[in-house]
Formats: sequence, C-alpha cells, structure tokens
Amino acid sequence: MLKVLVKKQLGEVFRSYFYDAKKNRMRSKLSIAAWFVFFFLIMVVFLGGVFLALAFTMCGGLTEAGMDWLYFLLMGVIAVLLGAFGSVFNTFSSLYLAKDNDQLLSLPIPVRTIVAARLVNVYLMSTMYSSTVLIPMLIVYWVTVGATAARVICGLLLYLIVTFIVLLLSCLLGWVVAKISVKLKNKSMITVLISLAFIGGYYFFYFKANEFITDIITRADTYGARIRGAAYGLYLFGRIGTGDWLAAAVFAAATALLTALIWRLLSRSFLSVASGGAAARVRYVEKPVRVKSPFGALLHKELGRFASSPNYILNCGLGILLIPICGVLILLKGQEVAETFNALLAGRPDCSAVILCTGLFMLSAMIDTAAPSVSLEGKSLWIPQSLPVNGGLVLRAKAALQLLLSGVPMLFASVCMAAAAGSSLPVKLMIVAASVSYTAFSALFGTFIGLKMPILHWTSEMAPIKQSGAVIICLFGGWVVSMLLGALYVLFGYRLGAAAYLLLWTLAFDAASLLLLRWLNTKGEKAFAEL
Amino acid sequence: MLNIEHLTKRYGEKIAVDDLSLHIYPGEIYGFIGHNGAGKTTTLKCVVGILSFDEGVVTVNGKNIREDPVACKRDLAYIPDNPDLYDFMSGIKYLNFIGDVFGIPADVRQERIRRYADTFELTGDLAQPISAYSHGMKQKLAVIAAWIHDPKLIIMDEPFVGLDPRAAHLLKEMMREHCDAGGAIFFSTHVLEVAEKLCDKVAIIKQGRLVKAGTMEEVKGDDSLEEVFLELEAE
Repeated sequence: MLKVLVKKQLGEVFRSYFYDAKKNRMRSKLSIAAWFVFFFLIMVVFLGGVFLALAFTMCGGLTEAGMDWLYFLLMGVIAVLLGAFGSVFNTFSSLYLAKDNDQLLSLPIPVRTIVAARLVNVYLMSTMYSSTVLIPMLIVYWVTVGATAARVICGLLLYLIVTFIVLLLSCLLGWVVAKISVKLKNKSMITVLISLAFIGGYYFFYFKANEFITDIITRADTYGARIRGAAYGLYLFGRIGTGDWLAAAVFAAATALLTALIWRLLSRSFLSVASGGAAARVRYVEKPVRVKSPFGALLHKELGRFASSPNYILNCGLGILLIPICGVLILLKGQEVAETFNALLAGRPDCSAVILCTGLFMLSAMIDTAAPSVSLEGKSLWIPQSLPVNGGLVLRAKAALQLLLSGVPMLFASVCMAAAAGSSLPVKLMIVAASVSYTAFSALFGTFIGLKMPILHWTSEMAPIKQSGAVIICLFGGWVVSMLLGALYVLFGYRLGAAAYLLLWTLAFDAASLLLLRWLNTKGEKAFAEL
Repeated sequence: MLNIEHLTKRYGEKIAVDDLSLHIYPGEIYGFIGHNGAGKTTTLKCVVGILSFDEGVVTVNGKNIREDPVACKRDLAYIPDNPDLYDFMSGIKYLNFIGDVFGIPADVRQERIRRYADTFELTGDLAQPISAYSHGMKQKLAVIAAWIHDPKLIIMDEPFVGLDPRAAHLLKEMMREHCDAGGAIFFSTHVLEVAEKLCDKVAIIKQGRLVKAGTMEEVKGDDSLEEVFLELEAE
C-alpha cells in the first residue's frame, strides 16, 4: 500500500516531466530525457558545483590539521540547513493540505501508512537538496584522505543520518506550523512572518558563512577543542564521517528512535490536524461595494490568490522583500562596490553599473508569480473560461500582478543604483530603463511559459508553485539572462559603452515583451480557452 | 435563445457528442437526460464555450459561440456539476468578483445579493472563506452567482446534487420564475421525477446521439419518463 501511495505522489511531482498537458498525452522518450537532463544540470552542476568548491576549500586545511570531524560537522550542518530550508515550506502543505487527504482517509488505509507515504515524499524532496552538499562532501573527503572500507560505510551512514535529521526538522516545523495555523485567523500572514524570520536567519548565516568558515579553518584547534569540550555530541557527529563505528552506531540508533517517535506523533495527530482547520466564524456585515472594471476584478482576484497562500508568497515573491533591501544596501555601499568592480575590470568603463544590474535582475527573477498562475486555476478554470472576458484579459491580469509586485521594488532599487553608480546621466537613465523593461519582460514571459506548461490536476499547490517546469525555467532562465547581461558586457559590450549596451538590452526586452503581449492576446487567448 | 446545430465533439477516436441538434426557446425549461458518460456534460461545456468542438454551430441569443464567445457569455450563466469555486475568497468576495466582471451596478448588485442570499439562508456565511463551505453551500453560492447578473440563458449540470430539500425546492421555483420572465434554462439531471415535473421539454442522449427530444408529452406520452428512459436505454 505504501508503495502505491508513494508512486502516486511521485507521479504527481514529476507529472510534467512525463506528461504533456497541452497535448493531453505522454511526452516522447527524448523529451522526458531532456527534462531530466535539465533537472540534473540544475541540481548537480549548479548547486552541486557550489558545494564541491566549498568542500575542496575546507577539506584540505582541516584534514591536514587532524580536524576531519570538524569538516564533517560543518558540511553536515550546511546540508541540514539547506535540506530543511528547501523542504520546510512544503512539509506543512504536503502533509496536511493535500487535496486528497479526505479521499485517502475514507479508504481502508491505516493513517500511519498515509503519513508514512507523505513523509517519504518530504524525505525525497529534502534529500534532493541536502545531497547537493553531502555527495560532494563525501567524494572530496575520500579523494583527499583516501577511501577505506570504514570511511565509506560510515560516510554512507552519515549521509542517511543527515537526511533523516533534515526530515525530522522539517516535520517538526511543519507540525508546529500546522498546530499554530489551526488556531489562527490570519494564517497566511503569520506563516509568512515565521518563514521570513527563518529565511532572514538563513541568509544572515549564508552571508556570514565565508567569514565564519575562514575563521574556523584558521583557528580550527581552538574551536575544535571548544566544541569537543562543550558539545561532545557534535564532535561525535563529525567523527562518523571519519570512520568511527561507535559514533555511527550511536547516531544511527538515536536518529532511528527519533524518526519513530516523530512518525508516531504525526500519525496520532494527523487526523485532528488535517481535519481540524476550521477557523473562527467571521460575521458578515454588509458594506458599500467598490465597483471594479473586469480587468480590475481579475487583477484583484490574482492578488487575493497570492496573498492567501504562504507557499505562493514565499516561493514566488521573496524578491519583493529582497529587492528593496538590495536597493538600500546599494545606496549605502554601492559606491564602494562600484569602485571595486571598476578597479578589477579597469579596461571596461562603467562595468560596475552593468554588473550591479545583473545582480538586481537576478533578484527580480525571484519574483515569478505569473509562471504558476495558470496552473493554480486548477479545477476552478471553468470560472474564467465561462465568464464574458477574453482569455487575453485573464492572462494580462496574471502578468500585471507580477509587474505590480516586482515593478515598484525594481524601480526603487534601480533608482538607488543609478544614484550610487557614479556614472554619466545617460548610464543612470539606462539602468532604470533596462530594469523596468526586464521586469515587464519577465512578467510576460512567466505568463507565457505558465500557459505553455500548465499543471491543472494537482492535489497539493506545491506542484505548480515549486515543482513545475514553468517556475524552474523562469527562475533559472532569469538568472541565465541576467548573467549573460554582465558576461557579454565584460567580454564585448564595453566597446559600445554602458549606456548604448544597456539601451540594446532594453530594446531587446521591449521587443520581446511586445511579441509576448501580442502572443498572449492572440494565440495565448486561444490556448487558454482550450486548456 | 439557444440553437445547437449538428454539434459533434471527439476526444481522439471517441465521439463524445455525435451530430446533436437542439433548439431552446425563451420561457422554456429544457431537461437533458442520459446515462453516465452519455455526453451531457460535454454538450453543456461546448454550449458554454469552455470546450471547443469539432463540427456544428452553437448560437446563444443569435450570437455564435465560436465567433463571439464574450457576447454569448454575457447572456448566459453556467453552473458545473462540481462547483469548484475560488477557495481563497469569501462568499461575498466571489459574488462581487462576478458582479465586477459582468459590470453590475453596486446598488443592483447589493439588492440581488441580499435577496438571493436570504432566500438560500446563506447571508450569515457570506464573510466565511469558500474553503470552509460545504458542498451544498458552494452549490448555493454558485446558484446565486449565476442569477446575480440576470442572464437570459442559464446552463446547469446536475444543479440539485448537494442541495438540501428546501434549497432544491427554492431553486425549482427560481427556475420557473426565470423562464416565466422570458429567460431559458437548459440543465442536465439524473433525477427523472424532477425532470418530469419541472421541464417543459426534454432531450434524451445516448452514447453521444440524441435519441428523443420534444415536449414532455411528446417524449413520454402516457408512460412515465422513467419508463421511456429505461426503454430507450435497453434498445
């Protein structure tokens, strides 16, 4: 039974890789392979590459100093943080908000089996993230120090232990969010605030990580002695990877025990939490109506959808917060950063302006509300399809929400950047113009790709929000475009000068936006009607 | 009001609706019956313009659903068999959303919401999120949303499923009033007793083909609708 449930869930997660919803048929083997290669490249090459470099940086120094355990401890903590960060947001919704909970609970399936199946899903998702740290960690260690049987077996045990610790953390946090949300009125806002605090802490650690790691490597003896004295458990944890059988056995037993306890806790409380979400009754009081235009109504509806879902806000709207922060940071430190870039790339005038634009565009790519918005219509798709509005208008409202959410922060940050750039007036103007044009392009492209790759049959909204091809393409595609902007300038574009170079990009974004808008109003409208 | 001429809809090799023609005039309540998978829902979705079709012509109030879908949709309201509404909205927000899309003035809208919500005893729940509604409450909200813009034609797919006896009775009364005022209703149902008592005309569909259509007397004669239906099914 567990196998059937897990297969069903995984089938949903990877449905868009196997099934072309638009053509209503299975994808070709070539297409499926291409999707998996794309996914593999993102996870292994992009994320894995970053942590491979980090592992190389730390491993040599720490193992030479005889502090192998500290290497495993640090990498293990990073894996736990990354895995928990990657999966904590979907644990709550995967466990308790799945649309098929009622159906499964009505079937003769033990609750513990349903919970176990959900947990397998959470485990696989979190393991996917933490593996990008753990696999480089083990390979680099075995290559540097040598792979004895004890190191390999204990290393693999450490891999399992860390992935289960991530699962335990995700489940505990998911359970806490669920218990809190049952009692609260403004669930979305509270969940978002808690999550933002978590993200804030995560990014604080992330930005301090380099300094922290350098400090630990240079003062490894001191820190090592302190950790060993004050937190012997952490020392033991680090020892597992070095091939310490006793440490491996102690931690494996403790993790197994904790996993069993958490599973029992979740199984026992699952029914009451999953079915006990009724909020306090709100009394209806008639108020004067504010009449809106059809477009206004559709836009308002999109905003309501966005604001109602913490998952949607956190996964597709994080940039709304990060971009203004970036703007303020640029105002404070921009001149310093610009001078550094200009000094590093002395032969490329105004390169700092273009490189800062690259950074800003990358943050803007983190606002991708349009990409999953067609999929999020789900079973309610009949409503916009049966209303007297053009499909083009519905699609434009989806793009407009993203434009609204990203446009204002981008305008603010680009003005801050222009003020701090120390460039000529035409360059300053082009920084703002390019940012605005990119924002518009990004919103229209998100709507386009969302319509091209819809997932309308989902049981958890995480499928379209986090796991859909459309969102992945928008996020990583946005980063690739942003990086191209900076790289091409450093390679060739500087010959044109920053103002002309940014003007070219602005015109390219505007032309692409016009084409996309035209497509949405013509072919897109037809495609939406035929979903 | 609604003309369906030679409507054909295929799903790959399978013909879901085969050369179906029907004419519904103002003032008529037209019932649409058939076994599961006969093609009722597909026909209704094609008529409403949320499903494309392969052949035929559908006109609503003289306007072609393919050529001018927005104008057609302005004249009609649709209630699907399973009212999946926007769960993230409250009942009142959903009704106001529909009101905005149809351009209903504020005062008219408020009066109609008050009237229909009171009728279905839903007023007290209008501020609740739709996610907290039962199936029946969602069905009532879908009915109010359909009536709120005073459409000429109302298309309903199994509208009585999930409604309590009182709400079902009220809906039947509203259907009659709507048609007495010059509107038309085309709805599918499995409840043959309701169709027999409520409908002016009825059409029976079997495996995508229309097997019998006309006034209730023409279709059933001296027998009950159930007997006629079962007889046709057995053929």
